Amino acid sequence: MSIRREDVLHVARLAELDVAEADLPRLVEQLGRIVGFVEQLNEVPAGEQAPPFLAGPAKTPLREDVVDSVPLVRPPASIAPEFIQGLFAVPRLGAMEGE
Amino acid sequence: MTSVAEIAAGVATGAITAGSVAKRTGEALRKTADLNATLHWTQEILDAQAARVDGLDPIGRKALPLAGVPIALKDNIVTTDQPTTCASKILEGYVSPFDATVTARLKAAGAIIASKTNLDEFAMGSSTEHSAWGRVKHPMDPARVPGGSSGGSAALVAAGVVPAALGSETGGSVRQPASFCGVVGVKPTYGRVSRFGLVAFGSSLDQISVFGRTVDDAARVLAVISGLDRNDATSAAEPPPAVGPARADLTGLTFGIPREYVPADLDGGVKAGIDLTVKAIKELGGTVKDVTLPHTRFAVPCYYIVAPAEAAANLARFDGVRYGPRKVGPEGDIRALYRATRGQGFGPEVRRRILVGTYVLSSGYYDAYYRKAQQVRALLADDFRRVFAGGVDFLLTPTTPTPAFRAGEKTEDPVAMYLADIFTCSLNLAALPAMSLPVGRSGGLPVGAQLVAPMFGEAAMLGVAGALEKAIDATREVR
Repeated sequence: MSIRREDVLHVARLAELDVAEADLPRLVEQLGRIVGFVEQLNEVPAGEQAPPFLAGPAKTPLREDVVDSVPLVRPPASIAPEFIQGLFAVPRLGAMEGE
Repeated sequence: MTSVAEIAAGVATGAITAGSVAKRTGEALRKTADLNATLHWTQEILDAQAARVDGLDPIGRKALPLAGVPIALKDNIVTTDQPTTCASKILEGYVSPFDATVTARLKAAGAIIASKTNLDEFAMGSSTEHSAWGRVKHPMDPARVPGGSSGGSAALVAAGVVPAALGSETGGSVRQPASFCGVVGVKPTYGRVSRFGLVAFGSSLDQISVFGRTVDDAARVLAVISGLDRNDATSAAEPPPAVGPARADLTGLTFGIPREYVPADLDGGVKAGIDLTVKAIKELGGTVKDVTLPHTRFAVPCYYIVAPAEAAANLARFDGVRYGPRKVGPEGDIRALYRATRGQGFGPEVRRRILVGTYVLSSGYYDAYYRKAQQVRALLADDFRRVFAGGVDFLLTPTTPTPAFRAGEKTEDPVAMYLADIFTCSLNLAALPAMSLPVGRSGGLPVGAQLVAPMFGEAAMLGVAGALEKAIDATREVR
């Protein structure tokens, strides 16, 4: 199927990605070619099946249910812009009703 | 330039110091700065690492398999003493608070992390032209590309700056640049090497991989970084592949040549390289036979659904809140901040892949694309399983369809660039171990042959590659 300008804008919104107006025609063309290329897979009949393939170990190894930390070379306080009483302080994003 | 084994033995016995190796490595990095292969390094960090090795007593140094060996790391593998940017503006200045498992294992083995190397942004590319800090030049011809995405690591090994380096593979990003640059590139079985601390691109495909000047250089580094890691649930409980001598001959071994990998329009120099390798296999007592992997032509389209889909999910975390520089959008809300940061922080190829990945996963299209790709991936993996079950010990193919191409040749055509991985990405989809071995030159440019082994067959594959390396003069013109 062909890719339209609205399709690019729709997936850009889903992907949280600003797309400049000037880049749109090129993206429409390039995405159209990429999607057209991958559609070759439709030539594989749906009935042609192989055992399901999963990369990696057949069973996910389970660890003991113990919480331990990844050793950091710098304390969290040195990474955060603000660190108050063991918590990262971040800019306020909104206000509750009545505040 | 000396090998991994020679440097480690020299430092262990005290014949040379790690400090002298660090000094030489710094000089070589300065001399090759024009290649643009390195993003971060300082002489102070080199010297500090060397001092730790030189400060050990002789017994301590002898216990280190990589004592004083300089190894470069692709800049998508995290390190605590240098930045990790993935060649992206969105991670500019980022320094990890922890080391990747491979970084920690290299340091524990006495290696010196020589530098963090340039790459295609977030490892997405086949030419190392898609870096926010400019393209990497081929060490033998600056007008050409070194391959990618691990082009910086390949170029440093080919230029003789380091005897070995780490890259990462998702669809061929170590084997393809190894072939272009005339060095050895080994992609282990998925799960052989921990991915903890490798910035994720396509999680079911990614595998940290090794460049070496020789097969032995790569084998020694692979042995150190392999093995189970409780920080990566997909790492396998397999002992590291043992470092052994090259096989004396190939008697009793059968090599399959998949006919789909030797198309009629294959580059003449690449074809001549394969013919030369076949001749060497036969002279060493091995048997060669034609085999078929019938779903091969679907590998690249399958890959370009699976990899962008996984990338779109993995790269969602780079939003201006958790990592890197933040751009405030015009509307001033949190979503505007995400969109502005990501729109300005990611380069064109990464943006393209995120959009494709989001498209194939989006409502109404998931079954047509992503589910279909999973079906085809299973068929591709089954092709390999059948061939190996049918009495073939290894596969032999070209690594790339052509030798190194010119910079700018494919940047305007993403599909043409994707086809540079046509012989490599099927092995990432099938999770199998594979490697590129230099087998000659065509028009002065290196050509590589690819060996493929069954799951966890790295030790045997490296033994075969060692025999072929001895038998073939890779500096000779193949036609």
